[in-house]
Amino acid sequence: MSGKPYRLPAGGSCIDRAKSISFSFDGKSLQGFAGDTVASAVLASGQRLFGRSFKYHRPRGVVGLGSEEMNALVGVGVGARHEPNLRATQVELYNGLAAVSQNRWPSLSFDIGSVNNKLSRFFPGGFYYKTFMWPKSFWKHVYEPFIRRAAGLGKAPEERDPDSYEHMHIHADVLIVGGGIAGLTAAEAAAASGVKVLLVDENPVLGGIADLSAGKIGDTTPAAYAASAEARLRGLSNVHILTRTTVVGHFHHNYLMAFERVGDHDPALLAAGAPRHRLWKIRAGQVILASGALERPLAFANNDRPGIMLASAVRALVERYGVAPGKNGVVFTNNDDAYLTALVLKQAGVGVRVADSRARPDGALVQQARAAGIEVNAASVISAVEGSHGVKAVKIAAYRKGQGRVITETRVDCDFVAMSGGWNPALHLWCHNGGKIKFDDAIASFRPNTHGDAIAAIGAANGTMNLAETMNEAVAAGEAAARAVNGKAKASKIKLPAIDEPQRGALEPLWFAPATGGYNEGNKHFIDFQNDVTAADLELAQREGYESVEHTKRYTTFGMATDQGKTSNINGLGVLSEATGKSIPEIGITTYRPPYTPYSFGSIAGALTGKLFLPVRRTPIFQWHTERGAVFEPVGQWRRAYTYPGAGEDKHAAINREILGVRNKVGLLDASTLGKIEIKGPDAAEFLDRMYTNTFSTLKVGKCRYGLMMNELGFLTDDGVTVRLADDHYLMHTTSGGADRISAWLEEWLQTEWTHYKVFVTPVTEQWAQFAIAGPRAREVLQKLESDFDVSNEGFPHMSFKTGRLGAYPVRIFRISFSGEQSYEVATPANLGRGLWDAILDAGREYGIEPYGTEALHVLRAEKGYIVIGDETDGTVTPFDVGLDGLVSKKKADFIGKRSLEQSYLKGPNRKQLVGLLTEDPQEVLPDGAYAVREVKDKPPMEMIGQVTSTYMSPTLGRSIAMALIENGKARMGEVISFPLEGGKVVKAKITDTVFYDKDGGRISA
Amino acid sequence: MLESKFESPLAHRQSAAETYVDIREVSERGMIDLRGQPGDKKFMAAVKDILAVDLPKAPRTSATWGDIRVLWLSTDQWLVTCPRHRAEALTQELTAALQGIHSLAVNVSDMRAVIRLEGERAREVVMKGSTLDLFDGSYVPGTVRRMRFAEIAALLSILEDAVIEIYVFRSYADYAWEFLIKAARKGSEVALLAPEAKGAA
Repeated sequence: MSGKPYRLPAGGSCIDRAKSISFSFDGKSLQGFAGDTVASAVLASGQRLFGRSFKYHRPRGVVGLGSEEMNALVGVGVGARHEPNLRATQVELYNGLAAVSQNRWPSLSFDIGSVNNKLSRFFPGGFYYKTFMWPKSFWKHVYEPFIRRAAGLGKAPEERDPDSYEHMHIHADVLIVGGGIAGLTAAEAAAASGVKVLLVDENPVLGGIADLSAGKIGDTTPAAYAASAEARLRGLSNVHILTRTTVVGHFHHNYLMAFERVGDHDPALLAAGAPRHRLWKIRAGQVILASGALERPLAFANNDRPGIMLASAVRALVERYGVAPGKNGVVFTNNDDAYLTALVLKQAGVGVRVADSRARPDGALVQQARAAGIEVNAASVISAVEGSHGVKAVKIAAYRKGQGRVITETRVDCDFVAMSGGWNPALHLWCHNGGKIKFDDAIASFRPNTHGDAIAAIGAANGTMNLAETMNEAVAAGEAAARAVNGKAKASKIKLPAIDEPQRGALEPLWFAPATGGYNEGNKHFIDFQNDVTAADLELAQREGYESVEHTKRYTTFGMATDQGKTSNINGLGVLSEATGKSIPEIGITTYRPPYTPYSFGSIAGALTGKLFLPVRRTPIFQWHTERGAVFEPVGQWRRAYTYPGAGEDKHAAINREILGVRNKVGLLDASTLGKIEIKGPDAAEFLDRMYTNTFSTLKVGKCRYGLMMNELGFLTDDGVTVRLADDHYLMHTTSGGADRISAWLEEWLQTEWTHYKVFVTPVTEQWAQFAIAGPRAREVLQKLESDFDVSNEGFPHMSFKTGRLGAYPVRIFRISFSGEQSYEVATPANLGRGLWDAILDAGREYGIEPYGTEALHVLRAEKGYIVIGDETDGTVTPFDVGLDGLVSKKKADFIGKRSLEQSYLKGPNRKQLVGLLTEDPQEVLPDGAYAVREVKDKPPMEMIGQVTSTYMSPTLGRSIAMALIENGKARMGEVISFPLEGGKVVKAKITDTVFYDKDGGRISA
Repeated sequence: MLESKFESPLAHRQSAAETYVDIREVSERGMIDLRGQPGDKKFMAAVKDILAVDLPKAPRTSATWGDIRVLWLSTDQWLVTCPRHRAEALTQELTAALQGIHSLAVNVSDMRAVIRLEGERAREVVMKGSTLDLFDGSYVPGTVRRMRFAEIAALLSILEDAVIEIYVFRSYADYAWEFLIKAARKGSEVALLAPEAKGAA
């Protein structure tokens, strides 16, 4: 639908008529001016229709002024930059902007879904619950896909978001939400004492609705006063002002979240590197809520037709954008404020008359309107609207309070309606964190009452609807907030100018305007426009027993859409009040939840996407692994090289090559991730004796010992090799994943239980790059590396330790092995790691050195029956269960977990014990975690007797090997047990000991 | 002779360009983790003998003498920073001087990466990843504290009003660098956050 352009010849405080802007709406090229919103520019072009409603697909147009807009939701941007569900009243125009309407198919003016409107008899309140209950399978396969396609609002883009986002943290002494007259005045009052003030407003310009208000502040207009206050504030270094920023939530202890639209309005900013959105995380000492009020629609028959707008929105259209809402309109009101709209329209040369539901309106503005020659019909309501894609005419009927049906009515040709049901304070932020509210008959709405946090509401947000009181409240609140932050803060000395504003007549609530014809027969009184909930739906919910307002909300979906009931809430309560005979406070109010307006997922993620999605820890050899084509595996936040496939080689072949390289020649492993902790002090030896199951006080200086650690419950939590560097000085190794946990564990015992111990614990994991050189030729490689110490087998036996140099590299070197081969672990300061790594590869080349990854490491250790904490243990496994009885001291007086091991169920029979497994078919590899059963049956349940903990194809042995925790496993050597797998397959395996290779251990000390 | 080759944690990164705060890696820093009891006069005296500076006892402070700067880490832990080439010898001197005194000095010069931010808006860049209020007036030069930065642990050291160093564990250096160059990207300045704004007295 389009018509004659509606741009007025002059006026429009927000637009710059010298700067023309081209944009498109649903593919159609349109022109607007700089400063326009999509709503104002499209309306100026003559188009009223913006979208289709959620349930009935009724044609809808712009209703509101800003963030409360519920109908004119548009998608903006194309491709990856498309963002759905934006309020057209808030989208600022830029050259090339592409907006599309939503929720229509195939086109906006012809929409198949609008058949729902014709069938609306079958879509009453609670229709989801009623209609789609049976048969059950239809929900998933028929109803839901249909509803999802037909309903829903905008479409999410499918490509990756090309823009950037970020978070910002800020602490403010005083946060002021809303930059209207109230917020600006409070900011001046607070800032005068020097405290840090943050003033946040969701609009591009400050001033709130000062420009739409009547009266004088001193000798200037409210708008001019706001501009001068803003200028004064911008000159202060202790005031930060954020525009285009919505405070979306208020949480405990005055923690607030604000959503800044940094670059949405200007693609040039994005191109210059600005984040598209920024999420502010605000800690405020004091919060002053100056968030204003939202105008209420009126509930009259077919009040959702395009062209029916809030009176304030109509006023803004004319005053801010120089756009006429139509040629001839009707202002429908129950209060004086809307008369300002009538006066503005009249002055702009637009035809207007007023229908006022009150019997005797006579405030100053009413008199002004009459004096200006505007026809005012008192005791009148709109009882019908003609037209579907726009307004053609309305019927004005005589009304008296409590009247249920229309008796006399007059048809009036018009093409728009400006409605006003009064104003609701924007209580959302007040209520997010438990603020209490009270009903005020004077405004027929709720207003703030008490709050547990340091927060105050002022002005319209506080239900104060006149300028003089608002400014007094603002000064008082600003000064009080400053004093609360700084007890010595002086009064601001702000002298408020004299305020002259029109005397207002009282508002009379009007929750329902009677309609022409039968109730709800083609006459829908919309309460919640966005979710298509009518007055009749709410009444139906009451009749069906959904008496609690929270039940009504869920049953009808009233107040649940993206606008969170901004315009519908109080009207809905008014309807319920009339339907039940209870007062609105008795009915109560539904919960306000964050966010105030939707904010983008991008802003929530902030910068933490892509490479920053998860912190990844890199060893000093990471770059080499990457260049070598390593496949990585996550170990905690580390990325460790899993294997290094060569060209055309698959992972399995690569792993086998690496394993055989270690067994037959020599391998090199990056073991830098191993936890390393220095422990020193006169009580270090005793401390370690308590932490480990085995004894470290007897360890000789320069020697290594493998240790087991339990928790107090007697279950294994970590293991590793610890070295005695000096009498009172040890170096502990932990598992890679356990490094942080174990150092915290050691500290906890020292700090909370054994505070008398003189022991220092310093984690040094990252100081060292550490590599295992393992294999029968390891020593030869070491010899080539110019060691300044004896590397002979006799001079450097298994489980001993040396410090020295390899060439110019300072090293700590441990003769320890996790592969069963002759093996040295070499540690050098991390920044020298890569150099030494390269030198070892050079030295090892002639011996065929193979870099190997973590998978080869795991197979090598499994061939030797070495456990891995987390594979063979799961938090319920004792040292006895894994056959390491020999490492549990019988002599030590005490150690962590000792007492628990004495408990009957940990000592008793039928514990699961670690065993080796050899499958009957040597090429069959058991799946990891496969269950062994006592007896195989046709189908589950079968009694389980244990599970596989590690399982591999061993290239060394040319057959599969596995370890498992099996009930009474040690007593079952030689027994064949069964593992039923998926698909009825059963794998049989013989129980053996856990050492599959080099049982006498000769290779390790060769 | 096998020569050693030094490679700093961020050697693989190109220098930061297109940022509104100067960002670079400090690789010449030596670091010693020192443990001891501040109530132990012998310990304090022995350390001062070597470092020529009193260990700071007040939380979140540091002390400087010449090219040595000591950062308070906790009630019994300090990070002694010095030129890298001096770190090993200094560690040995400390260990020798502290013989018989309950203490632990470890050369940890390679354990952390140090990233230096310099520029009027350095504090703002840090606050994009940290909840600390670096504008509250207590973050004077010399302040040191640990913080959660983006999603990792970091040590914050304020050298001058507009010069900040961030210490992170070596393995997280690449992550921290990536975050910083993104946070300080030109065009993403938070224009309204006036650095001169100070909190109430």
